Amino acid sequence: MNEFLTKLMDEAAKAGIEACEAYIVERDSFRAMVTEGEITEYNTNATRGLGFRGLVNGRMGYASTEAFDNDAIAQLVRGVVESAELSEDTDPVFLYDGSEEAPELNLTNDELARLDPEVKLERVQEMEKAIKAYDPRIDKAAHNMLQTGRHTVRIVNSYGLDRSYTEDMCLMYGQATAKQDGHVSTGFFGKGGRSFDVLDAQYIGSEIARDAVDNLGATQIPSGSYRVIIHRAAMTDLLDTFCGVFSAETAQKGLSLLKGRIGEAIAADCVTIVDDPLLLDGLEARPFDAEGVPSRAHTVVEKGVFKTFLHNLKTAHKDGVQTTGNASKAGYASSVHVSPSNFYIQNGDRSFDQLLADMGDGVVITEVSGLHAGANPVSGDFSLLSKGYTVRNGKREKPVEQITVAGNFYELLRNARAMADDLYFPLGGIGCPSIDVGELSISGC
Amino acid sequence: MLQKILAQEALNVALSTGGDFAEIFLEDRRDNLLVLQDNRLETVNSGRIHGAGIRVYVGLNAVYTYTNDTDREGLLRCASQAAAAVRDRKEGLSRVQPFYTPQRQTVHTFRMLPSQTAARQKADILRAANAAARGYSSEISQVVCNYKDSEQDVLICNSDGLFVTDRRVYTRMSCTAVASSGMENQSGSEGPGAMMGYELFLDRVDPAYYGQKAAKTAVTMLHAPQCPAGVMPVAIDNGFGGVIFHEACGHSLEATSVAFGMSEFCGKLGQQIAAPCVTAIDDGTLPNEWGSEHVDDEGTPTTKLVLIENGVLKNYMIDRLNGKRMGMAPTGSGRRQSYAFAPTSRMRNTYIAPGTDDNEEIISSMGDGLYAAKMGGGSVNPATGEFNFAVQEGYLVKDGKISTPVRGASLIGKGADVLMKIDRVGRDMQMAQGMCGSLSGSVPTNVGEPMIRVSAITVGGRA
Repeated sequence: MNEFLTKLMDEAAKAGIEACEAYIVERDSFRAMVTEGEITEYNTNATRGLGFRGLVNGRMGYASTEAFDNDAIAQLVRGVVESAELSEDTDPVFLYDGSEEAPELNLTNDELARLDPEVKLERVQEMEKAIKAYDPRIDKAAHNMLQTGRHTVRIVNSYGLDRSYTEDMCLMYGQATAKQDGHVSTGFFGKGGRSFDVLDAQYIGSEIARDAVDNLGATQIPSGSYRVIIHRAAMTDLLDTFCGVFSAETAQKGLSLLKGRIGEAIAADCVTIVDDPLLLDGLEARPFDAEGVPSRAHTVVEKGVFKTFLHNLKTAHKDGVQTTGNASKAGYASSVHVSPSNFYIQNGDRSFDQLLADMGDGVVITEVSGLHAGANPVSGDFSLLSKGYTVRNGKREKPVEQITVAGNFYELLRNARAMADDLYFPLGGIGCPSIDVGELSISGC
Repeated sequence: MLQKILAQEALNVALSTGGDFAEIFLEDRRDNLLVLQDNRLETVNSGRIHGAGIRVYVGLNAVYTYTNDTDREGLLRCASQAAAAVRDRKEGLSRVQPFYTPQRQTVHTFRMLPSQTAARQKADILRAANAAARGYSSEISQVVCNYKDSEQDVLICNSDGLFVTDRRVYTRMSCTAVASSGMENQSGSEGPGAMMGYELFLDRVDPAYYGQKAAKTAVTMLHAPQCPAGVMPVAIDNGFGGVIFHEACGHSLEATSVAFGMSEFCGKLGQQIAAPCVTAIDDGTLPNEWGSEHVDDEGTPTTKLVLIENGVLKNYMIDRLNGKRMGMAPTGSGRRQSYAFAPTSRMRNTYIAPGTDDNEEIISSMGDGLYAAKMGGGSVNPATGEFNFAVQEGYLVKDGKISTPVRGASLIGKGADVLMKIDRVGRDMQMAQGMCGSLSGSVPTNVGEPMIRVSAITVGGRA
């Protein structure tokens, strides 16, 4: 690879590219799916991809490849030159010179990387057994998946930056179907981390099964306005969908209603939102961002007050501030954008049960679906197919399905009444506690 | 792309531990992306996707390995990794049959390949859409236009001796317009495309028309009150409205769900599962359509498949491996996003066939309800049939007349119920393009229908 990089940088300089950068991702992964005891998918792979960008007349061009021959060098250089020449983006863009050291962050686990595939298969089969054993009403356990992987990210540029990190990960999740009196319900749960111990087959299996069984006999409730608690699982999905509004890139394009509102109260006092790439609990931990800038934690919303957008070098320069180290790439081939790392709403001061007790009567939403369709990140509006249960006198009453919950993300932050202390990061970098969001409109029967 | 002799060797290696079927999928793809935003071309990005996936079956279990390294050494390493992952090793190895390439007619042809079209010309398409969207109203505050094309060459060969190649060329533009009042944003999107090169814009798609259409939705929704919630009749217009069938029924007819008993339509072939006015087709053969292919990603020729005829379930969409599981023949429906995914059964161009009803009568006879002029996306849980989707541009119907626009509506229900409640099917079928996500990644699919009406459906809204 080093030979390829040297040649690439040489050819780039010859072609008049003033400064350039290669972003390389190498990946080794394993994936196995068990359905009804059978191994229905077994997948291993080793891949690498290189994204290349360079400045020509102050504009940034991009190209990428998965092939590493001489043709690839010519294609990358030509691609970057053509791209930069066509680009009409006149905002100043930068490559990072690496002047600040990146923090040490231990993301590797050699034991996990060396684990025998048979051990992994046993674990996921054990999870399926745990699902089936949970309750006689469990009908099927399908798509039980276990993934492990190691990936290395390396950034090398013509200013002398050359840094990399390696991360090991594992993930297990599954889906169950429960049946009773002709009613079918499904359950889903998963967990990920950097240690195989995290993949507790009994725990994950029974959570999947419980989710399915708990929904049996669910019915619609009449349309109307209800007091609502959004459970942490559903709240995480909502925050994931709307977290783009905290990106400076989104705001600078006029697509975030938070534009121009730094220092203002945009949420209730109980809302504090943090972006922390150094937090090992979240699966988006990393020592530096996609531009090589060292990671640092930032409080984005503090007790309801909007403190900062998330930035990369380009958006920070445009706003006259320092980058927050939130440069991101959707993959090695993508151009550089802005995304949160480990992004979470801080815990509140009471237990989930206390949250229910404080609400008295209302509805808990445990699952929302169709977020790519029913939620509009530009307006903040959402109207989502949901599941959950009713709460009476502070206690769980009966399961509910086939309802939609409608509201607006910005209003939801303003109307939040209280947080539980059950913050978690289910399968990625986004985390939330359960939140009492006041009133929302529900449509049912 | 790949020497037959090396392919033979790799397949032999893949079968060396007792697998009874092996397959190589080799892909070389060139992608381009242009993004125009803030009135300027912000991103021009090109990439080359290159790799091979090797699959081995042992009975009904499959092993899949893939790599970017497709020279002799890399491919053989990938094949031996697949072989090494086979667990139930058997005596008496399967042999690789001599290669043959079935005759076929070329149905999909390309005149202006993306690789031979200047990026400047592609940028002009985005400028035309952007100008039209901004010209529609001064309330349009932002327009984001994307241009994506790709040239994908695939080679599929397997131990049964099949050896086929296919070229797929895709071109698509999209335009999202945002209307803003300062306090509020609403958006509208359009995304026309086809399995075509740049000729798409000479033959089929006027970018300005779609720019304007996106802007109209955004502006209309900016001034629309919230949609009322409740159960009501809903008329869903043609084109992207077909997403209702895609979500409410299509996914549940894929072997991915059916083969495992995870679909509400399991064991219902020959039974009435929809109202008699409903006939639904999944057709991978339509010339140059977004979801078409000569052969699927397992090398099986694509087909025109009647899913439902006059309400009666006729066929499932079946890939090779699930076909073995179900004891049924594959239908040319095995698709995958890239070499990095094992294929599974997927939709292609899926639509409700034209019926006999008159659009005006459909509205005038519905009393009070909702007219969904433009649908957004949606999703489904195939095990329960629960679906949901968003209405991008909706209007209340009062006493059989289309009245005020409403925002924020979503439609929810269960596939089996809603199919039975379709009480009108219009005559003018149109299709629209989407990217459909499932186990084997994101693949291009068309949805389509004439205007249809559902007699009662739960509408989610806020008012």
